[in-house]
Amino acid sequence: MSGTRVGIIGIGQSEFKAKRPDANYPELVREAVTLALGDGGLGLDEVEAVVCSLAPDALLGIGNAERLAVDAVGARNKRLMRINTGGSTGISALAAGHAHIAAGVCDVVLVAGADKVGECGDSQTILNKIWDPTYERSLPLGTITMLAMSATRYMHKYGMTEQDMARVVVKNREHAALNPKAHLRARTSIDEVMASRMISWPIKLFDACPQSSGGCAMVLASESYIRARRREAVWMTGVGSSAESYYIGDRMGNGYAADHADAQALGEACQRAYRMAGISDPAQQIDVGELYAPFSNTEFHSIEAAGLADRGHSPALLKEGWFRLGGRTPVNPSGGVLCSNPIAVTAMVRVAEAALQVWNRAGAHQVKGARRAIASGNGGDHQLFGAVVVEA
Amino acid sequence: MTKAIKVGLVGSAVHAPRVPERMSLEEALHAVAMAALRDAGIGIDDVDGIVVASCDQLEGRAISIMMASGSVGGVGRDITATPSASEHAFVLGCLRVRSGMYRTQLVISWSPLESDSVSQAQRLGADPYFHRRLPLDELSSFALQANALEAEVPGLREAAIATARKNRQHGFTAYPEYASAPREAALIRDGKVLRWPITDGMVSPPAFAAVAAVLASDDWIGARAGCKTAWVNGMGWATETAFLGDRDLARLDSLTAAAAQAYREAGVSQQDPRFDIAEVADPTPYQELLSLEALGLCPRDRWVAAAQRGDFAAGGMLPVNLSGGAISFNPVFCNGLMRIVESANQVRGCAGRHQQAGVRTALAHGASGFAMQYNTVVVMGRSAREMQP
Repeated sequence: MSGTRVGIIGIGQSEFKAKRPDANYPELVREAVTLALGDGGLGLDEVEAVVCSLAPDALLGIGNAERLAVDAVGARNKRLMRINTGGSTGISALAAGHAHIAAGVCDVVLVAGADKVGECGDSQTILNKIWDPTYERSLPLGTITMLAMSATRYMHKYGMTEQDMARVVVKNREHAALNPKAHLRARTSIDEVMASRMISWPIKLFDACPQSSGGCAMVLASESYIRARRREAVWMTGVGSSAESYYIGDRMGNGYAADHADAQALGEACQRAYRMAGISDPAQQIDVGELYAPFSNTEFHSIEAAGLADRGHSPALLKEGWFRLGGRTPVNPSGGVLCSNPIAVTAMVRVAEAALQVWNRAGAHQVKGARRAIASGNGGDHQLFGAVVVEA
Repeated sequence: MTKAIKVGLVGSAVHAPRVPERMSLEEALHAVAMAALRDAGIGIDDVDGIVVASCDQLEGRAISIMMASGSVGGVGRDITATPSASEHAFVLGCLRVRSGMYRTQLVISWSPLESDSVSQAQRLGADPYFHRRLPLDELSSFALQANALEAEVPGLREAAIATARKNRQHGFTAYPEYASAPREAALIRDGKVLRWPITDGMVSPPAFAAVAAVLASDDWIGARAGCKTAWVNGMGWATETAFLGDRDLARLDSLTAAAAQAYREAGVSQQDPRFDIAEVADPTPYQELLSLEALGLCPRDRWVAAAQRGDFAAGGMLPVNLSGGAISFNPVFCNGLMRIVESANQVRGCAGRHQQAGVRTALAHGASGFAMQYNTVVVMGRSAREMQP
């Protein structure tokens, strides 16, 4: 084990919006980079490597669009690579950045990206193209229909109701109202969620994330760099990933490889991150979670996969207020993916928000006394999962 | 102070069927992954993580790593993807092993042929306002680079023809079952112009292939007797800016920067780097020559004489692309990882028909993007050396 600890020393997020017609892709990346470098108090010259966080090219309409952003991230003649694991890209990119430093190759790595989902036309048309063209693409599957099937399975298995789902939306919108970066900040009610347009039963419009545009960047550094320069930092103490099968059909029917109600591989990713961080009882040891949940129902199995509740118990605990700000273990105090989803960086934003919490810099949505947080990311067809533990 | 972890390549495989349609892509990926594991003498249970490199535009899938998950053993494992360059998957695999978080990594990349037009798929990577309407594809960017070089180097065309002839001869020796046939200089010179000054004898058509490598830590390798290992003694990677108008296409500063990183780490002289063999990016012969200069192996004022003397041919001073390179077999997206695996196999003594005797050190170079925007350099050796910070 190399033993090099990796710290977060700078965080930059743009305000997430439906559209950003004032900025093209490299400009949006640059906006986040400028914020992150400013936050860390360092210049581009100090960055030794860049990891670009860029999910499906088709959302931007440019193949390998990160190549156009080389100057925006100051990477000319420097190390640069791009990561894409779909929705989990942001957390996978951070894991790659972590590897650069833990390997002893770099002291300072910039992880950066942006997306313009709000300007892609219809993300579901694009996301249908993630599936196998012969078998599952023509169903037709989209990420909404895919996770609506997960919702019905979770309902059948654990008794979740549509009102339980609506309760997640109400909580997260309440949180997002306190987060000036969030895209959807209007508070709502269970009745309003229930009355919103049905998209794919039981997921209604308000149960679904928005299509957001915006950028996020983070500066990672080695412990020796941080100590030598007396930088403020929080630490990535656990990093884990795992994957499920490609075919949705492998998660249903007799002899399924993983139950579509649950997030089996997310559980494996979290366990790997916890093991690395020395966490044995997350329900007791984790103060706050920023968990990737683009639809209200998926927050429940994410909470359970992260070990913050037993399987099937999270709807009841949510009703008791466990996961809201002021509750026992607040989940998604930023408003989460339900309130902002710039896909290429959504999972990075989870880690950024977790870091701000344990840094005591989250502002109006700060969880009091948070010292240890879990962040997660989901990508592909609920297939590629990542988890990061952040500690003060 | 903690011990620096050294990384070795202990297994590899290339899957290049003559009739790719007889096997689904998933079957092909499964075949190449299993072959690489067999070469390493291990099973999938010994693999701690997987790094995939595939190109969504060529694949016609919005997140092409997804499809690989089952076929390469990604279910329940840590699998990630570097979708812009196959050689970046190798770099990330090495970083992951060096981090101490993993003992082993399976690195895999492929280049499909299902797209109606590779050129049109590549064109989607051009910026939508300026370059896309040119229309620009990778071959036209290489041709622009070749023109820029011809303007600076007298006699370059003959050196390029000699280089193409050399690689086609190498390829025919190494992989007669699928490499392009040898061609005389006159036929290369007078061949059909694809993008001036590139003729059809200077390139090979896009081909399907999948390539895989198994990486492992020094402790893991030390615990197993008889691992044929190519040690990764130095590694560097760097990038050019995107807009061709912002670049001097006759220079490749990012490759010089990447080589400096790799040579420093490997303890190789930057003024006089020496290797037993090299596998370098050669989408056309002009890029091979430009790469040799940026790697510090041959300045441009010696290209013509060196090519005519056969310095870089089998049996020459520094054999370059004994595999035949992309000029003789061109799986477009995974050429970078192909070059790395070929170099490693020379060091491991298992390169096959084109094995050079006594290879102890090898250089690999992969490039991706328009006019070689991304450059990666790997220095490999039969023995491991301490990494330099």
